[in-house]
Amino acid sequence: MGEPETGYGSALTLDSMKVIAESIGVANLGEDAAKELADDVTFRLKVIVQDAMKFMNHSKRQKLSITDIDHSLKIKNVEPQYGFIQPDFLPFRYASGGGRELHFIEEKEIDLSEILSAPPPKIPLDVSLRAHWLSVDGVQPTVPENPPPLSKEAQKLESVDPITKLSKPANKDSAGKPACGKAARLKASESVHVKQLATHELSVEQQLYYKEITEACVGSDEGRRAEALQSLACDPGLHEMLPRMCTFISEGVKVNVVQNNLALLIYLMRMVKALLDNQSLYLEKYLHELIPSVSTCIVSRQLCLRPEVDNHWALRDFAARLMAQICKTFNTSTNNLQTRVTRLFSRALQCPSQTNSDSGPSMVTSMKESEKTPLASLYGAVQGLAELGPEVVKVFILPRVRWLGERVEGALSGIGGADRLAAGNLKHQLLKVLAPVVRQLRQPPDLPDDYKREYGYLGPSLQQMVSKLRLSPSTTGGGGAVAVVTCTPPLVPLTTLPTPSPQHQMLTKSVDSGTRSIINAPQSPAPSTPPPQKFVIVSQQKSQTQQASGASHIVVHSSQPTIVRSQNVQSSMVVTSGPANQQPQKVVVVGMQPQQTQGGVSQAPVSVVAKPVFARAPSAPQPPPELDDLSHLA
Amino acid sequence: MGEKSTPLLAVLQLLKKYNLKGTEEILRKEANLGDTEFQNLDLPEVEIANILSVHHTESDPFTYEHAYDCLKKFIENSLDICKYELSTLLYPVFVHMYLSLILYDHNEHAAKFLERFGQEQEDYYQDDLQQLSIVKAKEQIKGNELAEIYSTNKFDVQLSRDSSSQLKRFLHEQKSSPVIINIINNHILIDIHDGPGRTQAQVKATAGGILGEASRNENRAKVYYGLLKEPYIEVLATPPEDEEEVEETPDKPKKKKAKKDNVFMKKPKVDPNAPPTDRIPLPELKETDKIEKGKALREASKRVQLGPETLPSICFYTLLNSGHTALCADICDDSSLLAVGFNTSTIKVWTLTSVRLRGMKSVDKLQDIDKEAGDVLVRMMEEKDRDTCRTLFGHSGPVYKVAFDPFKTLLLSCSEDSTIRLWSLQCWTCVVVYRGHVWPVWDVRWSPHGHYFASASHDRTARLWATDHHQPLRFFSGHLSDVDCVQFHPNSNYVATGSSDRTVRLWDCLTGTQLRLMTGHKRPILTLSFSVCGRWLASGGGGGEVVIWDLSSGAPAAHLPPHHTAPVTALAFSRDGALLASGSLDCTIKLWDFALITDESANDENIASSSPAKEEKILLRSFATKNSPLKNLHFTRRNLLLAVGSYEGSS
Repeated sequence: MGEPETGYGSALTLDSMKVIAESIGVANLGEDAAKELADDVTFRLKVIVQDAMKFMNHSKRQKLSITDIDHSLKIKNVEPQYGFIQPDFLPFRYASGGGRELHFIEEKEIDLSEILSAPPPKIPLDVSLRAHWLSVDGVQPTVPENPPPLSKEAQKLESVDPITKLSKPANKDSAGKPACGKAARLKASESVHVKQLATHELSVEQQLYYKEITEACVGSDEGRRAEALQSLACDPGLHEMLPRMCTFISEGVKVNVVQNNLALLIYLMRMVKALLDNQSLYLEKYLHELIPSVSTCIVSRQLCLRPEVDNHWALRDFAARLMAQICKTFNTSTNNLQTRVTRLFSRALQCPSQTNSDSGPSMVTSMKESEKTPLASLYGAVQGLAELGPEVVKVFILPRVRWLGERVEGALSGIGGADRLAAGNLKHQLLKVLAPVVRQLRQPPDLPDDYKREYGYLGPSLQQMVSKLRLSPSTTGGGGAVAVVTCTPPLVPLTTLPTPSPQHQMLTKSVDSGTRSIINAPQSPAPSTPPPQKFVIVSQQKSQTQQASGASHIVVHSSQPTIVRSQNVQSSMVVTSGPANQQPQKVVVVGMQPQQTQGGVSQAPVSVVAKPVFARAPSAPQPPPELDDLSHLA
Repeated sequence: MGEKSTPLLAVLQLLKKYNLKGTEEILRKEANLGDTEFQNLDLPEVEIANILSVHHTESDPFTYEHAYDCLKKFIENSLDICKYELSTLLYPVFVHMYLSLILYDHNEHAAKFLERFGQEQEDYYQDDLQQLSIVKAKEQIKGNELAEIYSTNKFDVQLSRDSSSQLKRFLHEQKSSPVIINIINNHILIDIHDGPGRTQAQVKATAGGILGEASRNENRAKVYYGLLKEPYIEVLATPPEDEEEVEETPDKPKKKKAKKDNVFMKKPKVDPNAPPTDRIPLPELKETDKIEKGKALREASKRVQLGPETLPSICFYTLLNSGHTALCADICDDSSLLAVGFNTSTIKVWTLTSVRLRGMKSVDKLQDIDKEAGDVLVRMMEEKDRDTCRTLFGHSGPVYKVAFDPFKTLLLSCSEDSTIRLWSLQCWTCVVVYRGHVWPVWDVRWSPHGHYFASASHDRTARLWATDHHQPLRFFSGHLSDVDCVQFHPNSNYVATGSSDRTVRLWDCLTGTQLRLMTGHKRPILTLSFSVCGRWLASGGGGGEVVIWDLSSGAPAAHLPPHHTAPVTALAFSRDGALLASGSLDCTIKLWDFALITDESANDENIASSSPAKEEKILLRSFATKNSPLKNLHFTRRNLLLAVGSYEGSS
């Protein structure tokens, strides 16, 4: 209403009349005739649409549908247009040719026999009735059946401009709270305390809920915790408790980092995850509390009491993934979140000579205190950067790899179990994240010497990893290394995986069944493999896989590039594909617990791939590892 | 046809009308008019007079714009007190100028004229102008609903005595260009009233009908809006434990509260505004009906008193997996059954309580039953429990309305297939098909006493039926467009209808005449609801507006603040009459303080000018549903609000 309509009504153009005439075989429609026709057709169409609107109104809809037009034609004694069923808007397409643009609807030819032979479509669900309380004594309960009491937009508006809340005290749309609430009182007394607006009053029920949820989240009962996290992830109407939740998390992290209580840190991170998953919350306001907490859990020098035994690596991985999720969700051009997070991590990777020049003073002092950034923090920083994508890896990790290699080398050769372990993990992690990137970056052949020259200590291992990747059939599209060795969610290159070749499926099948162990692949295994080679595929049964993936660490021991070590291998298979190889190689592939390094050795001329990840990688990404099984460590 | 031919045709038609054959022949010969054109002579009466009187000046297209400008200038310069009243003239003059331009084949000028002045017209006329703008040639006037209405009816404009004398003076000065004078003479009915000119708000409150405002004379007749006395049911039906109630509820068993603080009416045995009990013959209550009424009374005694401080609880019934197929819903008076009509021509009935839906026994078994037995009604039903949902098949088009009868044994439905069907809820079959409407039937409602029902249709009539007649008892015709909704007055003596011509009318069931014509809606009216006391009528429109009408005067008592953003599809009064609930396609339910609304109107006359602060207070609360547009609202006897909506996905 009232908007400046450009004139009253549109009309069909002469051109379209001519086109329509052509389509039914009238070649030269005169100008006058076309004009007459256009006017008349426009009039008739509009009359039909007018009546169709009545049918729309009585169908209690606000969108005109094709059935409305049919009914409108029917009451005008015109045969309805049968066969036009369009569930959505008509998808108009453009085509330009011969100097004029055309709109058209794509009509695909349908093969009837295909329809006949296809399985019948699913029967639509029957209409069913469900009752819930929209309001109890005038207050709308926040149950999933009701819309969230304060929409995300409203929450955002409130955080951006708190005055709005004050100016609309009687906002009855929100939450169904009695209008005589605090806002009304504020208005009545004419005293404007904008600061007070930041506090959120919690009803008794909400306080109780808060208490229960926080207790359950950090308590010992796993079942209750699952329920509590589920509630955090799904319930609408948590926004009033959000400030308290965030404070709870950030304080909790501060305390528990000091006390090195790994389990509690894990629980708190899972809370963060649940809050991130809740669609109805506007978290931007609380990122200043969440991000420090999460980054603490990634790069803190010590997260547990016994670093040599406890698996704090999983927490770092998990938190790094959270951070990536936060960056992905909340990064805007104003807050530059991802840039800032990246800078934070990359500073940790700064080698001492560089720190003097370009990092902040705080960094310098910390460097002096402990001489070096602890290996665990380095690990966290690497992991945090890796989760942000291959591009970040290329820019921020790759240039430092020489220095990082020196650190690893130093630690591995030194004494101290914890340091060795940390160095091992760091090395493994570096190889894992770097290999796909390097693979894209460099062209074969991969010569160990080149690598050594360029990447220092880690060069040879990297070279091996890369060549392994190149050979692996599952990564023909590149970048699938992660899928092979671990089961990180597909933040990194998993997405680029191509559809599996027939051979994959064969492999997959046999891996799953576990009965057949040898397959003769008739064709060349992977298009990108230059020389025909033999593959050894070492796989485990499912249960072990999950165990291994739960820990999410598969150590590829690559100082000796030609030995395959495998742990708990129950079935293995060898795929021969073609004539004998020219360069026999032995490769390690393994799924095993991080601490155990010895196992059965299978030797064969090989290149490798392991694990039923095969079976899963191309389809659904595996769920992120649950951290539950770590709780016993604490 | 040339420019000249229109007046010629008009002359011909006139000659034909008076059967002057000879002259006609000669004229036709001289003017060289073919037979085909002659066959098409169907200019409206009024137009002929118009054309004949002034064809020489009116055929000049340029006079129109000038004349309209003059009129505008005159109104702008007139006294403030008359300004708004006079400005109501602009729209009809504008429309008729446009139509006469078309009539004289100045099609391009007409388009230009519309372009230039169309935007200045009131917002609520823009929809009409869109419709009118479709008419771009003389022949199309006949096909266009709206243009026809304008050319065959007079537009009603109300002016005070002062304003009209000013207007007369102006018209006098305009002697040289008689365009406006002719339009006003031929197409506009000026209704002169005594007293000062009305303000903008007053004008706006009643403007908006297709033919302007309702004239004052139309709403003179007396309406017995009081409730009927309901005799001797209590004695029979009220169980002893409710004895107190017997004392207090002797007259209005259906909807009333125990306390006597009702502001609208007293509770003597005879309501002064009530019609005589036998004005309309009402059906005798059957034994079962009395039991039902007794139950209702007992429930009513447990009713929660509602008010701004004590808001009702709302139970929301969501129809899942229905997409856009569910069109309408109804809940029976005791809130135990829910019926939903679908655009797949089916009707589904759900039970809302733990009592399952049972059918009647087969014929053979029925014969064995002792008809004299006291519990024959129970015995004739099947013993074993049946489903929680039953489907009724029979219609061949979308079902636009379903309605339970007051005793929940029958169900009415109306459909696009132009039939009304009566279903038995005992044998779960269609019992009667009422044919009469020839176009889609939009709405059907039961009389609160049963037996009678009213229907509204696309054929611009509403009809009154009795269940035992296959022909309608009364036709209510007069609406200028589709009758979109219909509602029975609580005393069964009147029927209210709402229409796409943006008027609400009240009809007398006894005489079939129109008693009230109420204008003020700016969009089509989609739903109606009578207040519990019978004096007020609430109507919800296509733009989300809700208007409260006072039946005693036919004037709008209040326009509720425009909080709804989509068509209002359901209105319901709480059983004690204190609250009004409105549901809309914008997926919200809003609760309004009805006591305050009507109280206000009792205090001061201009509701339309009530302060915004008061308007804020009228809206008590708004509840949003999860993407589920409202189909129906229903207050249970204990004042719990039940709402029905269909979930339309999370998009």
